[in-house]
Amino acid sequence: MNPSDPLLWLTVVLVAPIAGALLPLGFGVVGARRAARAASVVAWVGAAALLVLGANAQWGAYFGIDSVSDLFLFVVASIYALSTWHSRAYLAAIHAPFLTSQRYYALLGAFAFAMLLTLSVSDLGLMWIGVEGTTIASALLIVLERRPASVEAAWRYTLIASAGLSIALFALILLYGTTGTLNAFELAAHPLPLTAPIAFAVSLALIGYGTKVGLFPMHTWLPDAHSEAPSPISALFSGVLLPTALYAFLRVYDVVAAPVPATLYGLVVVVGLATAVVAAFLLQRQRSYKRLFAYSSMEIMGLAVVGVGLGGIALYGALVLVVAHAFAKSAAFYTSGNVLRHTGTTRMEEVRGLRTRLPWTGATWAASAAAVTGAPPFGTFLGEVLILTGAFALGQYAVAAALVVVIVISFIGVNWQIGRMVFGSEDREAAREAEPIRDLGIPWLCLGVTVAIGVASLPYLAPAIRAAAMSLGGSL
Amino acid sequence: MDTTGTVEGLLGLGILLSALYLQSESFIDPLASGIAVQSLLVAGLIGWLAYANGSLELAVVALLVLGVRAILIPILLRRQIRAFRWRARELRAAQRVTGHALAAVAIAIVAWFIFQETLAPFLPPIPGVALPFVLLAEGLLMLATRTNTLVQVIGYLEEENAIVYAGVLFVVAFPLLIETVVFLDVLGVVLVSIILSIQRNVFGAPEEEALEELTG
Repeated sequence: MNPSDPLLWLTVVLVAPIAGALLPLGFGVVGARRAARAASVVAWVGAAALLVLGANAQWGAYFGIDSVSDLFLFVVASIYALSTWHSRAYLAAIHAPFLTSQRYYALLGAFAFAMLLTLSVSDLGLMWIGVEGTTIASALLIVLERRPASVEAAWRYTLIASAGLSIALFALILLYGTTGTLNAFELAAHPLPLTAPIAFAVSLALIGYGTKVGLFPMHTWLPDAHSEAPSPISALFSGVLLPTALYAFLRVYDVVAAPVPATLYGLVVVVGLATAVVAAFLLQRQRSYKRLFAYSSMEIMGLAVVGVGLGGIALYGALVLVVAHAFAKSAAFYTSGNVLRHTGTTRMEEVRGLRTRLPWTGATWAASAAAVTGAPPFGTFLGEVLILTGAFALGQYAVAAALVVVIVISFIGVNWQIGRMVFGSEDREAAREAEPIRDLGIPWLCLGVTVAIGVASLPYLAPAIRAAAMSLGGSL
Repeated sequence: MDTTGTVEGLLGLGILLSALYLQSESFIDPLASGIAVQSLLVAGLIGWLAYANGSLELAVVALLVLGVRAILIPILLRRQIRAFRWRARELRAAQRVTGHALAAVAIAIVAWFIFQETLAPFLPPIPGVALPFVLLAEGLLMLATRTNTLVQVIGYLEEENAIVYAGVLFVVAFPLLIETVVFLDVLGVVLVSIILSIQRNVFGAPEEEALEELTG
């Protein structure tokens, strides 16, 4: 075995979550948890090795990775491992769950495998299968707490996501009919002029994969599923499922020869901007903090899609934003789980005085809210600034102005609401509660990574984001 | 028109008629039969193309459509209907049959027009080349306008029939590996949908209060 062979590490990345899906079924509760944790760590080691190696290779007609895949694989494997480790505390608090612990960890492994498969293949057909596989593996996880609302949310998710992905598959058929291949790397190496079938295929892919990314107006499943899922699964949904679907769209978008005609990139920018604007306004009227964070994810995805559409430095900013957001939003959802366990409610008006009752949790939550909304020095701030810089550089002043408004509105909306729960005074008399500090270790680790991205000093990850942006035609 | 074109055209017409029938039916059992017939027609079309082109890959795809969509999935759907007799008819749809039928025809015409004007000039001159796009639109309409979970599964299957129909019509041979795994994926989605459907039945019609947390 040659440790510098990317195939070895890609095999590790793909086999580990399969083991993580199968092994828990053969153990008791404790054994299942340990097996799932071990598998997730092994998958993370494989993904980290690929990132460090800067792997860029193809194997046969179906498998292949480049700097973009390396980056996304690392982020998905990281959040998979963190969510697996964080699941214990959450599962312990659920009475009569829909799934046993063993099945929960099995589906978690299957969910991670589907995402990692999506990012490991060069064939757009297999990539579609991976994205659809995420729906199958994750739908039942939403129902974990066996409540009517969670069943309804899972149903909407399955139906809307699958219907959207059917449109994406239609796009791939058009693409295959026009080009005779579905190999993303081959298509990117010989990009195509924007003929009517290609424009139609890319537009359908935007609608199809956009449904899974949570783009307006196909976003309706997102707030329901993200808010009803258990917190570790919400972190996977918001942090890495949406970017995985965005990655699949990026691969289709990449087949169009540069410079991308204004009609197409304009469509992408408009859809992204509309998503961000709608999300920024909708999050103001939320009553549940989990839905608040769900709409915040939608807003971030909208900003990222604007960055993709603008290209250049904005594309680099989009990747920084997506990576930093994955860790920041995971911290927010993990901490939400702690808040839910202590308060027993997701209604924001029923939660006050966390600073007194749960000071460490409150501090973590306030920091997470700042991180997801792009406060400095978090990486999300850097990503948003780069996207704005890209818009100004292209002379897209109206887009830049709209982005500024969206960013400010959502910043105020999220931080005001979370601030009221943490610093609100209604329960100032309440006694301090015992809070398991170790449950906050993972959120703080996530926040640390987000800060490190923000100051562009994280070894390997910062250069990897640059390499991925360059590979997609971005500039620095 | 040659024999191949005639057969493709006739089977395409049958698929279109089955799509219009599905839109105007409110009883679930006939809907399960309707989607089985539609899948049978799609399988027949692929089988005919396999025969005409001497393609073993297409023959395998035809058998997959026949086995999974025309036989297995309708059986699973019927079991659900037998288990929950009270869900055997979608009452809201029953009151709007005329509206659904008119919407189905309107959507078919619009989808046909869009496809003919934008994409058809770039594709080989095949009879009924716009039909998969029309079928896709009909499937989406069913998903959007119906509330019964089993009917929505049927709408999803109609969409998937449109995909496989487009695959064989536009590109003749979509890679078999991809085609096969897509079938397994569809089966997975249907199974998950049925599990969720059972859970919905266990809870019964969701109370407004229970769904309040999904608003805001």
